[in-house]
Amino acid sequence: MAKHRGRGIAAIEYPTGMNQNGDPSQAWIKLKMDGRVDVFAGTVDIGQGSKTVHSQIVADTLGVPMDWVTMDTSNTDSSAFCMGTFASRGTFIGGNAVRLAAEKVRNRILEIGGELLEIDPGDLEIIDGEVIAKGSPDKKIGVGDIAGAATFVKGELISGQGTALKDYATLDPETGAVTIPPHSAISYAACAVEVEVDEETGDVRVLKMSQVYDVGCAINPTMVEGQIEGGAIQGLGLGLLENCYPYYPSNDHRGGQFGSYLAPSMEDLPELECIILENPSADGPFGAKAIGEMANNAQPPAIATAIYNAVGVWVTELPITPEKVLRALEAKAAGIPESVTTGKVVRYDEALSITSHQSADAVVTFAV
Amino acid sequence: MSLNITVNGASRTVNAEPLTPLLHVLREELDVLSPKAGCQNGGCGTCTVLVDGEPRRSCLLPIAAVEGAEIRTVEGLAPPGQLSPLQEAWIHHYAAQCGFCTGGFLMAATAYLENGGSDDHTEIAKALGGHVCRCTGYVKILDAVSAAARGDSFDLTTTAAGLHTTLKGVDQ
Repeated sequence: MAKHRGRGIAAIEYPTGMNQNGDPSQAWIKLKMDGRVDVFAGTVDIGQGSKTVHSQIVADTLGVPMDWVTMDTSNTDSSAFCMGTFASRGTFIGGNAVRLAAEKVRNRILEIGGELLEIDPGDLEIIDGEVIAKGSPDKKIGVGDIAGAATFVKGELISGQGTALKDYATLDPETGAVTIPPHSAISYAACAVEVEVDEETGDVRVLKMSQVYDVGCAINPTMVEGQIEGGAIQGLGLGLLENCYPYYPSNDHRGGQFGSYLAPSMEDLPELECIILENPSADGPFGAKAIGEMANNAQPPAIATAIYNAVGVWVTELPITPEKVLRALEAKAAGIPESVTTGKVVRYDEALSITSHQSADAVVTFAV
Repeated sequence: MSLNITVNGASRTVNAEPLTPLLHVLREELDVLSPKAGCQNGGCGTCTVLVDGEPRRSCLLPIAAVEGAEIRTVEGLAPPGQLSPLQEAWIHHYAAQCGFCTGGFLMAATAYLENGGSDDHTEIAKALGGHVCRCTGYVKILDAVSAAARGDSFDLTTTAAGLHTTLKGVDQ
């Protein structure tokens, strides 16, 4: 009996948002009379940082300092409509909505600035809160002065709205064929792990994890790092520890507290290396794609592959608990054919499963 | 019954049943809101406060057991409007995402540092291993605590960048 080391790798692709048949998010921006910017959007920040990222997008689109921007996402009643914070759509779709709204506000600022400076708006740019003539930087006017002139002289509230909306699928009435526009942005990632498997106890430890994420352009790299690192440890938990209903569908043994529902702790943290690969998307705001949910997808298959590499058994059910590893090792020693994974076909091995109650459906085939 | 406790240096008198958890007294009677009610089973650590300098789960601690004790919470880590060096490290290293676990981590890490804890990641993980965080993957929390243990100073207008390789412009 000994501990064995193995390495495994998994690669994933992940779609950004639903991103078909509409999937709208909207934003509305108004310029205060001192040039500061109020953004009303429905995207909810649940800790992922969408308020920060949307503020960055608005500030960069308008050309004003980021601390001029206030994101008001305080309620979904008075805010512009958003489909929701899910499907990794906050930065790409919600971000496009605030970008489109900000472009309209920017255009109106330039038009009024052009009137005041008596310069064609096409020859103006906005830098750090000032509208400046290209090539003639002494001819300039503050965005606050433009907003003040609009308010007190022109009698206008400078505002803009934006909607990110994906094209709908079309139906050919003759043939019944449905044509769906291609997905706007696919993120890619790969995860490699090194594990140590204890043949005697079935215990699996992840020693090292290296990951690469293509997220388009990382609008806020520190936050992307945070999502990737957080996802890595969630993925480790999904691979080895976490199970809501260990004997599904019976809920008798459901974990009701952290003593029985095992989430990874700081002591489970492997040596972790994360790389952000910036591969800009043509459609995303400032080249962004998604990170969000994809961050915990690649680790479980990488861990399963590393366990096969270490001790020669496939465990085809998550989480890969010591019990499942030991059952697989016993089955191998007894000469029982092992579970098989061949690309798109998984043979679900009831003899090795401790949760299966569905004997009629032993083979699960996924459509290619 | 009426009891006296000291909360962040101020003496407070509370009226509570003796088995009322300290967490409820802090949040509902004294309006001290940094300890969070997470699992309320002692498993997650987000309600952690310092009782006479020791990190304790306030959800499991009857108020009668802490009569006369000195309680410290995040509100008492620094004078109003200021931050402790650990809190500055937390901001600089972006160690909070949703922030629900942060108060408990800060108090346990404060006790670790006040007891002479080092910047060694294994030692920090031993001290903070009972706290659950679902957002950060613990990486930046470890970075923040070890930076505070080393006495690093921080520019709070920036976050710690360049921890990981970034390859730009593959398709450009």
